[in-house]
Amino acid sequence: MKWASLLMFPLLSMAQVTPAAIAKSPNEDWLTYNGDYAATRHSPLRQITPLNAKSLVAKWVFRVDGAKKLEASPIVYDGLMYVTNTNEMYALDALSGRKVWYYRAAGAKGTRVNRGTAILGDRVYFVTADCHLVALNRMTGNLIFDVEYASFAGGYTTSIAPLAVKNGILVGVAGGGSGQRGFVAAINAETGKEMWRFWTVPAKGEPGSETWGNFPAEMGGAPTWTTGSYDAALNTVYWPTGNPWPDFYGGRRPGDNLYSDSVVALDADTGKMKWHFQFTPHDVWDWDANENLVLVDAVFRGKPRKLLVQANRNGFYYVLDRVTGEFLHARPFVKKLDWTTGLDDKGRPQVIESKIPTPAGTKVCPSVRGASNWMSPSFNPATGLLYVVTLEQCDIIVASAKEPVPASGFRGTGNEGIPTEPGKFYLRALDVLSGELKWEYPMPGPGVMWAGTVSTAGGVVFSGDDDGNLVAVDARTGKDLWHFSMGHSLFASPVTYMVDGRQYVSIAAESAVFTFGLFAPAGQ
Amino acid sequence: MRFLILVLTAPWAIAQMPTAPEAVTAGGQLYMGSCSGCHGKTGEGSQGPSLLSGRASRLGDRALFGVIRNGLPGTSMPDFPLANEKVWQITAFVRSLTAPAISANVGGDAARGRAFFFGEGKCSGCHMIMGEGGYPGPDLSNIGAERTVHQLRESIAKPSARIGDGYRGATATLRGGRVVRGVAKNFNNYSVQIVDGGGRLHLLRRSELAGLELTDESMMPAVSNGDAVTDLIAFLARRTTRPYEGESR
Repeated sequence: MKWASLLMFPLLSMAQVTPAAIAKSPNEDWLTYNGDYAATRHSPLRQITPLNAKSLVAKWVFRVDGAKKLEASPIVYDGLMYVTNTNEMYALDALSGRKVWYYRAAGAKGTRVNRGTAILGDRVYFVTADCHLVALNRMTGNLIFDVEYASFAGGYTTSIAPLAVKNGILVGVAGGGSGQRGFVAAINAETGKEMWRFWTVPAKGEPGSETWGNFPAEMGGAPTWTTGSYDAALNTVYWPTGNPWPDFYGGRRPGDNLYSDSVVALDADTGKMKWHFQFTPHDVWDWDANENLVLVDAVFRGKPRKLLVQANRNGFYYVLDRVTGEFLHARPFVKKLDWTTGLDDKGRPQVIESKIPTPAGTKVCPSVRGASNWMSPSFNPATGLLYVVTLEQCDIIVASAKEPVPASGFRGTGNEGIPTEPGKFYLRALDVLSGELKWEYPMPGPGVMWAGTVSTAGGVVFSGDDDGNLVAVDARTGKDLWHFSMGHSLFASPVTYMVDGRQYVSIAAESAVFTFGLFAPAGQ
Repeated sequence: MRFLILVLTAPWAIAQMPTAPEAVTAGGQLYMGSCSGCHGKTGEGSQGPSLLSGRASRLGDRALFGVIRNGLPGTSMPDFPLANEKVWQITAFVRSLTAPAISANVGGDAARGRAFFFGEGKCSGCHMIMGEGGYPGPDLSNIGAERTVHQLRESIAKPSARIGDGYRGATATLRGGRVVRGVAKNFNNYSVQIVDGGGRLHLLRRSELAGLELTDESMMPAVSNGDAVTDLIAFLARRTTRPYEGESR
């Protein structure tokens, strides 16, 4: 009978995660995939510094049962951490690593990895591999809704960490390698109803459709598989898009293939496009532009400007005006770059004919994995440096003019590495305005990593490396401060947060989440 | 060659397990006469092993058919050399014992069950279905695909028989005297995570607590009205988050 009082408990309202709170992230919490809407992944936390980073110790490890390749960037709110794996989510006590609840989307199809969560109100959101958006109560894991936003049977699949913008949850799809038509959709966070959808490949007759010849828009690709950025003052969402399909053969899709390999600036309320910029027109190298879009406000050439920067897979670091989309500057950030003689004053590359893949195979630099990829860069406004994991590598790319069939595994054929020239990873610090290399930290290893970075006001940059270490380096110099080997390869980017006045750093390794903090004597 | 033909035409090799409700019912009658003495009326096991868990529950349909028909030499499981049709009916009934409620034939009135769940029964005070209802009991949005009819019946009529992970009643008394009451999502010697009746989560360190009581008695009152139980089962058996597509064996 002592439970009677509990059963009568009134349904008190829970603390709500408001859009205003998300706009202030990261602070003690980490509320979006990249921590902030600007995708700087820069935390104001300053407890961990270059002087004390050597005292970092492991605090807890949470093994994700059955996980083969965790790629999620955790979200942390009010002492609770949310981590996703394929078709499932865990809520963990961020202080102890203990599981609080677990949700598995029963009946979900597809085995694609998952990159994380969005949080808004009293709910957390994630996508299943078969393109359902799932809303759960953030404290209990109770299911609120499960809605399909793209057809798995029709070939769609996804891995994206959704983004909460205003009252919408923004989602995207994979499909650059399988011939689906990309889109960004805003789904009402309360009801699960779709509010708008922007197709990244224009339908026949729409502006931009002339850049495809007669190629069907439904097979165009230009997928939206990574999380975009948002500028509340401009009411604009910036979303990166991937490659046109088939990846390596462009003969059937003559033209620039808009809006593949681009950034599209969308009205946050309607999804209408304000402007676009295409990094790699008529891509035949699979150089998705899905790398993070970092929003930076700075004085550029003597004038305060709202900028958007990206270290693109094609090897160039770009600086754009994010109000107008104007191309301002670009500069290679890898040495192995041989496909172009350079960019014109609009940012359009002049492609070297001999670098277009042929059936016999063509050596091209950077490799298909790209000079960088979806591993998250970070930007520290105090140093003016962008920290980006880069890959120096070339590939042999083979093209085929075979009739393309969507969702058949056909990508216009593919790439192979060059055994005598293995890829080498570096953490590089670029001047955010010029793209000039300020320092680099080599990351020797087997060439398999996809881990990114987090920057902190304490002056420490954390990054996964190619040998399964989380490393801490000095933000100003790149000097090694600390490392810890997790015995796993790394495919995710670290985050930092604070609980009970102490700063922590977490990263998902292959099959477990590791959390570190400064050494504190037992009982403290 | 003759052997091959024999194998290809062996009736149990080509027959399919019947799915019609009548076949399951007929199988149930045969089961009660020949099998329940050892395996229990609901397959829970007595002299013979449980059919609800363990090896028997993992056998494929054809393997199960073979065991029923031919027995297990060296054990007390005898052969039942009945007509194949009848063996298949028993197989179908045994399979239904472990089938998710959504795929079982249940009686009762689902609409009345819904009304009871959200009304008189006050189930929705603690349980939620697709966002409708309360805390801190288990979310039942997909319960029809996760539990058998037998398990549903047990949970409704004897809630303390089995308490799911994360739903043990907990009362934590903090050093300042504040009391937090709810279900323990998890606990160990160092921390406890409690969801209270308002759906709020309390992340507590054991060092903050003056006491922690965990109970093995369910917080849920039993439903004793047989008609209400049947109607609730009818309602809950159909609760799935996605259309149920079955599982192949």
